Amino acid sequence: MLNQLFFLVKNSLRRTFRVRANWFLLIGLPIIGILASTLLYSGGQSHLRIGFVNEDGSGYLSKDTLAFVQKLQHVEAYALTREQLRNQLADSKLDMGLIIEQGYSESVMKHQPGHIILQSVKGSQVTSYVKSMLDEYIGNLSSLSKVAAGDSAKFQQLYRSYQQPQFKLISNEVNDSSVNKEMSYQSIGFLILFMLNSASGLSELILKNRENRTYFRIISAPVSAKMYVLSNIIVNMIVMFIQVCVAVFFLTVVFHLDPGLPVLDLMGILTLFGLAAVGLSLVIVAFSRNTAMAGALQNFIITPTCLLAGCFFPLDIMPHSIQRIADFLPQHWVLKSIGALQNGPVGIGIWFNVMMLLAFAVVFFLLASYRFGRNNDTRNFV
Amino acid sequence: MNILEITGLTKKFGNFIAVDNMSLTVREGEIFGFLGANGAGKSTTINMISSLLRPTSGEIRLLDRDLVKNSRFAKMNLGIVPQDLAIYEMMTAYENVEFFAGLYGLRGVELKDRVLEALEFVGLADKAKSKPQNFSGGMKRRLNIACAIAHKPKLIIMDEPTVGIDPQSRNYILASVRKLNASGCTIIYTSHYMEEVEEICSRIAIVDHGKIIAEGTKEQLTATITDVKDIHIELKTQESILLESLTNIPGVRSAQQEENRLHVYSDATVDNLNRILKQLMDSGAEIRAVEEQEPNLETVFLTLTGRNLRDN
Repeated sequence: MLNQLFFLVKNSLRRTFRVRANWFLLIGLPIIGILASTLLYSGGQSHLRIGFVNEDGSGYLSKDTLAFVQKLQHVEAYALTREQLRNQLADSKLDMGLIIEQGYSESVMKHQPGHIILQSVKGSQVTSYVKSMLDEYIGNLSSLSKVAAGDSAKFQQLYRSYQQPQFKLISNEVNDSSVNKEMSYQSIGFLILFMLNSASGLSELILKNRENRTYFRIISAPVSAKMYVLSNIIVNMIVMFIQVCVAVFFLTVVFHLDPGLPVLDLMGILTLFGLAAVGLSLVIVAFSRNTAMAGALQNFIITPTCLLAGCFFPLDIMPHSIQRIADFLPQHWVLKSIGALQNGPVGIGIWFNVMMLLAFAVVFFLLASYRFGRNNDTRNFV
Repeated sequence: MNILEITGLTKKFGNFIAVDNMSLTVREGEIFGFLGANGAGKSTTINMISSLLRPTSGEIRLLDRDLVKNSRFAKMNLGIVPQDLAIYEMMTAYENVEFFAGLYGLRGVELKDRVLEALEFVGLADKAKSKPQNFSGGMKRRLNIACAIAHKPKLIIMDEPTVGIDPQSRNYILASVRKLNASGCTIIYTSHYMEEVEEICSRIAIVDHGKIIAEGTKEQLTATITDVKDIHIELKTQESILLESLTNIPGVRSAQQEENRLHVYSDATVDNLNRILKQLMDSGAEIRAVEEQEPNLETVFLTLTGRNLRDN
């Protein structure tokens, strides 16, 4: 039995890789995906492009707040009108926008800071740095106003002291790994798309063999339909693993990107996702009558779900209701697992994410098995 | 000795009964003709013998072993030549036969020898390194056969192996079938070409509506037909005849035309030859020859099923 299985796997791999186009589709495309995402997300490296609008013109606090932002490291700030800001954000010429509305200075003085807005189409990953710095800065101003208790002269005295501290600040620059992490994260998003497409393409071999009638010849030999499908799953997993290895090699060794988590952990999670991808591809095949239908289902399922799961851009920029849909997509859980490992020490949460991925794989395989099992007819195949 | 015994075989697809309580025996060493119109239950029966379908009820015994319980043993002793070509266009002829023979556990030198032997047998040894995408229809059919015989099965099922090929390839395949049979293989042969079946099959079964309606040698089957006469009429020119005008004549069961030849099947007891000829002449046809032939398999099939095999 194992001998037959090995024979089927060997021959499927041989047939797959003897076609030159498959080398490009299965190995070349993921590399190109990584290269593309590296180019896409490396723009500006550590420099954040911020456009600001100051509508609180007379207030010295608003001017000082903008000066504070401009002095932040790795920040390039440009004064704009609201319309210019909106257009440049939409055109991705800016990473984020800062609007100080009329009444900002007064609100800080009254210990109720407001009238300050941060905008970005790139999600919280981009705004978090500036937001945290501003929170601290405005918080300090607010504390001063609380101490001054509405006395304007006292506030100005405290504010001057605050601006001329009597201590020496020694700053040490630390490496900013966020850009690298973001590039790795988005590269993996592309890899996920290619893995899903590859898995579907390989599972479609079952349908192709049905269409060219070789499937019937195979199972009229001493090979069961189950063994035949199992051989396809093994071939698919081998290709998935090769894709993961090649992608991680190019990511870390060729493009020198630090994924922000141990390479073996990354490979483990991606391989587990590979299992879910193979399961999903079998579901597509099980519910398709022919390769044309499988291709249509593949287009209908894979790209939109990758989009919704945050494979192409961060999930944070989508409406909350759409973000909830991602919970039902395996791509989301692999990205979430990788994000969690990038951001800190491993907790129980990561195991929950991994279990979710495993659960997706199990559900997909069960669904495919159920569907295959109902095809008790050579007109339907397996 | 019987190589294949089918008893009470039934296959249902929902409410549709494709094979209905069929019983059949195939003896070792014979070429067994299996005739039936499309939808008669022939392919379903073959699919059950090939283990592609599970019977709803009944028993199939191959070499005296239950096929369902011993499917691996059955598959090892069975070779299938499907009607539709089942070969990989992107693989060479050698690789195709090597792959399918390898599924039967053959490896190494034995596999290589068997593959070359099979290719030699079907006359494709010199094309071993060529891909079928460059083959003619006949060559592909021969490769289809090579893929089914390399593991040396005891029973080979050939489903329409000569469909859509040139006469030269057809003759080659028919000669190969005889050669295989002479080497000890039992063959179940299905074809729409009645003359092929008459030529090579030692026994024939006719299946209709999922049941065997007749079984025996060609002579035994034709001897049962006494109430039908087969009138062959040769026309001077190849012109289209309105066959309906002939079948409206009392006694005529069916009529068919092949180029300038007409076959009219009629009740033997009705004297209607003059009316048939008059009808033809009235329609402007010029008659060259008329002959009443002895019943053949075509006549048998028509009498038993009410249809011509090739009409399907």
